[in-house]
Amino acid sequence: MNWAIGLVMFVGAVGLSVIGIAGMLMSNHLFRMVLALAVAEAGANLLLILAGYRWDAAAPILLPGHSTQAMVDPVPQAMVLTAIVIGVGVQALALSLVIRVRQHYATLDMRVARQRMQDALDQAAGVVPPRSQEGPAGERPLPAPTRTIEAGGPHD
Amino acid sequence: MTDVTLAVVLPLLGAFLLPLTAHRGLHWLGMLLGPALLALAALLLFATWTAFESPYAIALGGFAPPLGITFYVDLLGLLFALAVPLTSLLLWPGGSDEAAIRQQSLTLLLAAALTGMALSGDLFNLYVFYELAAVASYGLAASSATGPAFVAAFRFLLISALGSVVTLLGIALIYFKTGTLNLAHLATLSERLADPQGLAAFAMLLIGFGVKAELFPVNAWVPEVYAATGKRVAALLAGLASKLAVLAVVRILLLVFPHDEARQLLLLLGTLGVLSGELAAWQARDVTRMLAWSSIGQLGVVLVAFSLPGKAGLIAGVTVAMHHLVVKSALFLLADRWGGAVDRLKGAATASPLGAALFVLFALSLLGLPPLPGFWSKYLVLSGLAEAGSGMQHLALGVILLGTVIEGGYLLRIITRLYAAPERDIVPPAHRFPNLFASGLLALLLVAGAILIDPLWQGLNTLAASATDTQVYVQTVLGGKGITR
Repeated sequence: MNWAIGLVMFVGAVGLSVIGIAGMLMSNHLFRMVLALAVAEAGANLLLILAGYRWDAAAPILLPGHSTQAMVDPVPQAMVLTAIVIGVGVQALALSLVIRVRQHYATLDMRVARQRMQDALDQAAGVVPPRSQEGPAGERPLPAPTRTIEAGGPHD
Repeated sequence: MTDVTLAVVLPLLGAFLLPLTAHRGLHWLGMLLGPALLALAALLLFATWTAFESPYAIALGGFAPPLGITFYVDLLGLLFALAVPLTSLLLWPGGSDEAAIRQQSLTLLLAAALTGMALSGDLFNLYVFYELAAVASYGLAASSATGPAFVAAFRFLLISALGSVVTLLGIALIYFKTGTLNLAHLATLSERLADPQGLAAFAMLLIGFGVKAELFPVNAWVPEVYAATGKRVAALLAGLASKLAVLAVVRILLLVFPHDEARQLLLLLGTLGVLSGELAAWQARDVTRMLAWSSIGQLGVVLVAFSLPGKAGLIAGVTVAMHHLVVKSALFLLADRWGGAVDRLKGAATASPLGAALFVLFALSLLGLPPLPGFWSKYLVLSGLAEAGSGMQHLALGVILLGTVIEGGYLLRIITRLYAAPERDIVPPAHRFPNLFASGLLALLLVAGAILIDPLWQGLNTLAASATDTQVYVQTVLGGKGITR
């Protein structure tokens, strides 16, 4: 029975990572990208926990009188604790950057935001932005802008 | 004996104290605190360097390895650690307003984390310091607080966080197969990782640490971030942060994955980096992004150099890395006022003759003109590749030579504009004095490197001899003779 649970756990851990990484690579919505990041991190953390898990062992807490008991490897658990804290910090920072991007460009679409950034950088550098003739082949065309600047738009 | 851990602790302390001084109105203290702490850290590391006899390890908190976390102090680690406070001091963002204070405390945080990366002897600890450095650099990337900077920082964060997840998966894989994360302990168990799963773990770590090292598939953030932030931040990230990420990769490669397949993988990705970086730099039409792409190409050369086996590879790698640290930092400092379109630079030499002369010096060294250190670094890489002699290495040799030709093309394009007659009497702006001063210091360093080539060669030989000897590392950390608590 335990091996079945273990299998489900492993498949789940790898599956979560794959779903998360795929989501980060394939999504164009800034907020979804952050969510995909959270999912991927959960998968990686679960895999680390599984690396040190034993079905026949107790939680790694040292109590007087129980020191001879077999215990789960505590090292991965300590590492996962660290990884979770780092992950939460990074996600918070990512969300704050999403808010800033939304304030400046009034969009949550990565393609639009990226195009605006490239245009702004080209303009600041005094370079004519490369258009169809010179631009790299294979770039997906931008969707027509559905919403322009609304309330809560750029502050500057 | 001086305690090297202070070189990590002091900037970290400063990073969190600095914002407090701004709130209390102690601006003069804030102005002094950061540079003073960095100078102190540099002094500490320098004292350790001069008193260095043999490598030793520090068991943090008194817990013995392999369970406890260790710092490993050898010449290679000390060289890169020493570069951290010195470069941060040189690229220190001045000022005393709130935004400047924030940027300064992020710089201190970055310095602390990078020093930790140079000294850490534990894979997970390395990962934590890497994450700390990454978070500091997201903040620095967004520090100019413009729309493009926020988008660039967000994309940087996403790519880097993706790399972190992949690294974590790689670490989990290594822990599955070996049950340890201490680098010395892993070195004794490296045969267990000499299979496809081990290679996959190395590839995962490479992708993760490679984000900062501007490794080929995960470097899309580079030109955007460098173009959207201040040039001092770009210099800090391109010059310093990338080198420490490379050092982390090198440590892992030397100790944990001393297999040919791992070296081949690094060689392949480095070669692709050279090719893609130089070609993209040729396409770029403004100086900043040209330098950004060219730094991807240069770091490709660094990774190719480190993929060479043995002492020769390490010497070549350290030389190229340190040369790139000096030259690219200086070029970004000079690009602070000249970062725009290449065509706008016409006549810049008349406005700022010293700046133009420095630019030419650094550009020629980057190309590898013989008396300058750039020549020796490239020569070491190329001769190492020629000696190693398999098909892949010869291909890499050809690509690096081709890259040098392309590099010559675009750098000379800038240089000819600098000395062209100004158009309609529009003269490009002259440099701010601090930038000119800092790049002047770096130029002195470069010239000193060209003159002192003999003692440098001796030093590099002893450095590489101890760094490539895995047995010394294992004996020092696990044998218990070199441990201090």
